[in-house]
Amino acid sequence: MYYAVTFALIITMGLALARAIIGPSVYDRVLAMNMFGTKTVLLLAVVAFMLGRPDFLDLALTYALINFIGVLAVLEFFRDRASRRKDENETES
Amino acid sequence: MTVVFSFFLLTMLIVTAIAIVRIRDLFAAVMLSGIFSLLLAANFFLLDAADVALTEAAVGAGISTVLFLSALAMTTDKEKAAPSNRIIALIVVTAMTLALIYSTFDNPAFGDPDAPIHQHVAPWYLETTREAIDIPNVVTAVLGSFRGYDTLGEVFVVFTAGIGVLFILGAPSGKPRQTTDLHSEGLRHYLVPRVVGRMLTPFILLFALYVQFHGDYGPGGGFQAGAIFAAAIILYALLEGEKSALEAIPRSWLIAMTAGGALLYSAVGVAGMLLGGNFLDYSVLADNPVAGQHIGILLIEAGVGITVTGVLLSIFHAFAARDKF
Repeated sequence: MYYAVTFALIITMGLALARAIIGPSVYDRVLAMNMFGTKTVLLLAVVAFMLGRPDFLDLALTYALINFIGVLAVLEFFRDRASRRKDENETES
Repeated sequence: MTVVFSFFLLTMLIVTAIAIVRIRDLFAAVMLSGIFSLLLAANFFLLDAADVALTEAAVGAGISTVLFLSALAMTTDKEKAAPSNRIIALIVVTAMTLALIYSTFDNPAFGDPDAPIHQHVAPWYLETTREAIDIPNVVTAVLGSFRGYDTLGEVFVVFTAGIGVLFILGAPSGKPRQTTDLHSEGLRHYLVPRVVGRMLTPFILLFALYVQFHGDYGPGGGFQAGAIFAAAIILYALLEGEKSALEAIPRSWLIAMTAGGALLYSAVGVAGMLLGGNFLDYSVLADNPVAGQHIGILLIEAGVGITVTGVLLSIFHAFAARDKF
């Protein structure tokens, strides 16, 4: 049972990885990475039960929290870059 | 079965690594390196190395993505075409790879109980931890007490690396960043991330404290907790703007934290000497040697956590304070 779920998750991770490599747009990659993080959280949760160590769910929790920060950093990066470009255009013109 | 899963994960790891090298779009490379780190952490986890997986998750997937993006914001996001003449490099790398693969043939088989690593000091650690230190997580016992010197060295490496980065990035000759209003206010005007982030920040801080002080009993410890703590403050900086984060924890505090954690660690070692033991021998810190070990590990883990938080946040602010490199 756990094995089947783990395999399904690993296949999904492979698909997300393919999307992250192929792209083509930035948003594909952001979504792919976000999805990859979610799948890793799930994989850790399943593997924790498979290994009989449910106390390792702490780790899955960390991943979930950290993943959120990563996505926000990406958002801030694009917002910041957009505002920089606007500033540069204004100073040039 | 674990081996099969590891095989798949390692294959994806290699694919990701090649993609990172090949891809010209640096933003995509940052995203892929985040994926690389998640894969590596999942692999560590499958091999039952929960403490390492936790570190990799906190540092690799979280903090380094943020730092890479901060660096990327100062430059362009397209890699310049490298000058040709890569054939020599390719030959060197291929030769090196073949030599490394050849050398693995002498390794003991994966999971072999007779391998030297399982026969040397590991059994002694496993036996002695219970009576000498009496904490369930042997990793913390090895890291904090048996191998306290190594960890002290690691803390000073982190400390030195932080100073090095601050020397390069914090130099006053750089063009100071023009703080128009748009620059420094973060994601303040975006309601959904702000509300969710505000709700999450205290829990992340609480979780960091849990990882810090629960390290004796489960996966965790100072390095991981420091990274999670720094991640929580970085989240605050992303949401409320970097200025608010600097008001909450000013730069002078960060420098004091960077040095203070390493100082606390060394002070525990010196305290052991003054009380009649060896350097970093915690048994003399209390009447009962086991209680002394607990106190010592708690204090040095706190030192590690403080230094890691200080260094990571200093680097983050140093990046954010510059406009162009």
